[in-house]
Amino acid sequence: MKMKKLVAAALAMAMALSLAACGGQNNSSQGSTTPPAASNPPAQSSNPAATGATEITLWTYPVGGWGEESNVQPIMDAFKADTGITVKVDYLAYGDGDDRVNTAIGANEAPDLIMEGPERLVTNWGAKGYLVDMSDLLTDTDRSEIAPAALTACTSTDGKLYEYPLCMTAHCMGINLDAFKAAGADQYLDLENHTWTTENFIKAVEALYAAKKDTVAAVFCKGQGGDQGTRALINNMYGGTFTNAEHTQYTWDDPNNIKALEQLKSMQGIVFDASLEGGDELKLMYQEILDMAFCWNIAQQLDPASAHGDPGKTIGGQEIVCMNFPSPDGTPVLQGGIWGLGIFNNGDPAKVEAAKEFVKWMCASENAAQGIKISNFFPARNTVNGTDLTAIFDGSDSGDIMKEYNRVILPNLGDYYQVTPGWAGARGEWWAMLQEVGNDQDITDSVAAHVAVANALIAG
Amino acid sequence: MARQSKPTMSRALQRRENIAGYLFMLPSLIFFLGFVVIPMVICIFISLTDANMNSSGQFVGLSNFIRLWTDSAFLEALKNTFVIVIVSVPTVCAFSLWVSSAIYRMKGPVLSAFRCIFYLPVVTGSVAVTVVWAWIYNNYYGVLNYIIGPKGLGLIEGRINWLGDPKYALGCIILILFTTSVGQPIVLYVSALGNVDTTLIEAAQVDGATDFQVFWKVKWPQMMPTTLYILVITTINSFQCFALIQLLTKGGQGTNTVMYHIYWTAFKLTEQAGHFGYANAMGVVLAIFIGILSAIQFKLAKEK
Repeated sequence: MKMKKLVAAALAMAMALSLAACGGQNNSSQGSTTPPAASNPPAQSSNPAATGATEITLWTYPVGGWGEESNVQPIMDAFKADTGITVKVDYLAYGDGDDRVNTAIGANEAPDLIMEGPERLVTNWGAKGYLVDMSDLLTDTDRSEIAPAALTACTSTDGKLYEYPLCMTAHCMGINLDAFKAAGADQYLDLENHTWTTENFIKAVEALYAAKKDTVAAVFCKGQGGDQGTRALINNMYGGTFTNAEHTQYTWDDPNNIKALEQLKSMQGIVFDASLEGGDELKLMYQEILDMAFCWNIAQQLDPASAHGDPGKTIGGQEIVCMNFPSPDGTPVLQGGIWGLGIFNNGDPAKVEAAKEFVKWMCASENAAQGIKISNFFPARNTVNGTDLTAIFDGSDSGDIMKEYNRVILPNLGDYYQVTPGWAGARGEWWAMLQEVGNDQDITDSVAAHVAVANALIAG
Repeated sequence: MARQSKPTMSRALQRRENIAGYLFMLPSLIFFLGFVVIPMVICIFISLTDANMNSSGQFVGLSNFIRLWTDSAFLEALKNTFVIVIVSVPTVCAFSLWVSSAIYRMKGPVLSAFRCIFYLPVVTGSVAVTVVWAWIYNNYYGVLNYIIGPKGLGLIEGRINWLGDPKYALGCIILILFTTSVGQPIVLYVSALGNVDTTLIEAAQVDGATDFQVFWKVKWPQMMPTTLYILVITTINSFQCFALIQLLTKGGQGTNTVMYHIYWTAFKLTEQAGHFGYANAMGVVLAIFIGILSAIQFKLAKEK
C-alpha cells in the first residue's frame, strides 16, 4: 500500500510539475502592454551588458528570402558576433502567421521582434499599443535617406514609428510571353515600358482565349492571399480607387471599379475562381496552365513560384515577363509592399533595448545590404549613413532583372492605402465580394454591401 | 474487542484505498479540469462580455447571443453546419452498418484487410487527407475532372470547379468528411455484430424469422449501445468540422460552418470590438446544439 501511495504521489507530482512547466515563465512584468515613453534613450551600445538581454526572438513572415533559414541564420550569426546578442528566429507563413501572432499576444508570449509590413505593424498591432515606438531610433540622416513614402507608411497618424523599413517593392503582374507570342497577343504589349492599356489587355485576353479555348487568367478569391493583385487589376482598369487619399474610408464602390468587375466578368478566358489564392494562381502560371498571374513581384520574377528554377522562366522554360497592370492610358498606379522590423513591448526594457540594437544594426547600418539582398526586394533607402544601396544587386545573377524592374515597375508605385483602419476585416470583405461576383450576383449590390461592412469596421 | 476493532481497521483501509484512488485519478482530473471544465466556464463567462483578444472587456449580458440571431453570416454557418450533420450522420451510420454486415463473417486476414482499408483515412493526418482531396478536386489538373471529363468518361464538357462553385463545394466537403468518418464505426459495428448472441439468432431462425426480422428484432437491439456511441461521436465530429473548411475553402462558396466562423471571428476579425466575446457566444450556442442533439439521441436509443 505504501508503495502504491508513493507511486501515486510521484505521478501526481510529475503531472503537476509538467503542467507548471507548460505554463511558461511567470514574469510579472510581461502582462504590461503599455508602450514605453517615447523619450526612452536610443540604444547606442553594442555591448550586451549595456542592454542587459543576451537573447531575443524574431518572428518573420516569408518576405522574399526571409522565409528561409539558410538565408536568415548567417545574418543572425553576424549580429551575434558583433553584439553578443542571440536572435532566435521563428518562420511564419502568411496562411496562419496572423493567428500565431495574435494568439501569442493574447498569451503575453509575443516575440521581441517581428518582420512584416505596415498593414500589420502600424495599422493593427501598433495601433493597439502592442508595439514600441521606434521614432527615437531615427536620426536626421535616417530621415533624409529613407524613402518618404516608406517612412510615412511606417508611421502612425500620431507620429509613432512602429515599423523600421528595410525593403520595398511594387506589385505587378506576370505574363507568359511565349504564350502571348504564340497567340499573336504580344502586339498588345509595350515591352519597352512593360505597360498596356485596358483596351489592349482585353484584346490580348481575347486572342489568347481564341488560341487555347481555355482559361487565360483567374481573378482568384479563395482567401486574402495575394489580394493585392486583384485589387490592383480592378482599380487600374478604369482608374478606380480602393480607399480615399486620407485613408479614412473604403471607396471600392467607385463606379470605375464596378465597370472593371463587369468587364472582367464578361470576358471569356477570365474566371473568378474561388478555389485559388494568389500563391495557387502564380503556380498555375509557372506550370503554364494560366497565361497571366495577377499576383506577381520582383521576388517572383527572380524565383518564379519559389520553385528555385530559372529566373523569369516557367517550369517548361517559357519566358515570364513582368508587366504593369493595364490602365486606360497605360499609366498604372501600383500597389506597394514595404517590409521592415517592429518591436513588441513585452514589458522587459532590456529586451526592448536589445531589439532596438538589432533594428539599428539591420536596417540603419551597412548590414542592411545583406537583409535587402535576401529579401529580393529593393532598399527602402538609397543610402545608409552615406553608403550606396542602389547597386547591391549589381554583378549578381539577378542584377539585370532587378535593374529592369527598377526602371519599368517601381516608378509606378502608388499610395500605400493598406494602413486604412479595419484593414484585416476589409480584406475579408473584398474576396467575399469577388466570390459573389463570380457566382453571378448583382455586382453593384454586392460591392455596395461589402464596402458598407468594410467602412463599418473602420469604427472598430 | 476483536469485533469492535474490525470495522475501524476496515474504514482506515478504505480511506487509504480512497486516497490512493484519488491520487491515481489526479493526473487525469487535472487535465479534465484544466482543459475541459475551466475553459468551458471561462468560455461561458467571456460570452457575456465584449472581450477582445487581449482585454477582458465589460459585462454585456446576453447581447452577444441576441446579436447572433441577426448575424446573417452566423445563421448561414449554422445552416451549413446542420446540413453537414443531417447528411453525414445518417449516411455514415447506414454505410458503416452495411459494410460491417457484409464483412463481419469474413475470415481473419480478409476482415483485417477491409478494416485496415476503411480505417486508414482515420489514422492518416487530416492535413494529408485534405491535400490529397484538394488535388483530386483541383479545377485545372484534378483527377476527378480528368476521369469524368472529355479525356475520360466524357460525362461533362470542360471542367467543374468543385471547391470554387457553391453548387458543389459543400457536397465535396461532406464527401471527405464521410470518408474520414466511416472507419471507426465500421470497426465498432464489426465488433458488435460479432458479439451478437448466436443462440438468439438461431432461435429466431428456428421460429421462422426472415433475415430482415432477425436483423431488426435480434441483432439491432443488441447493437444499440454501439449505434448510440457512433451517432453521438459522428454528430459531434460533424458539428466540429473545421480543418477541411480551413484547408480547402476558407469558409467561402457556401461552406462556412459554425466552427470555422468561431475561428474567423476570434482570430481574424481582431480589429472588431468585442470579437472574442462574440466568438465565445457562438461556441456556447454550438455546445448547446450538440448537447441537445446528443440528448435526443440518448433518449431515442433508450426508448428503443
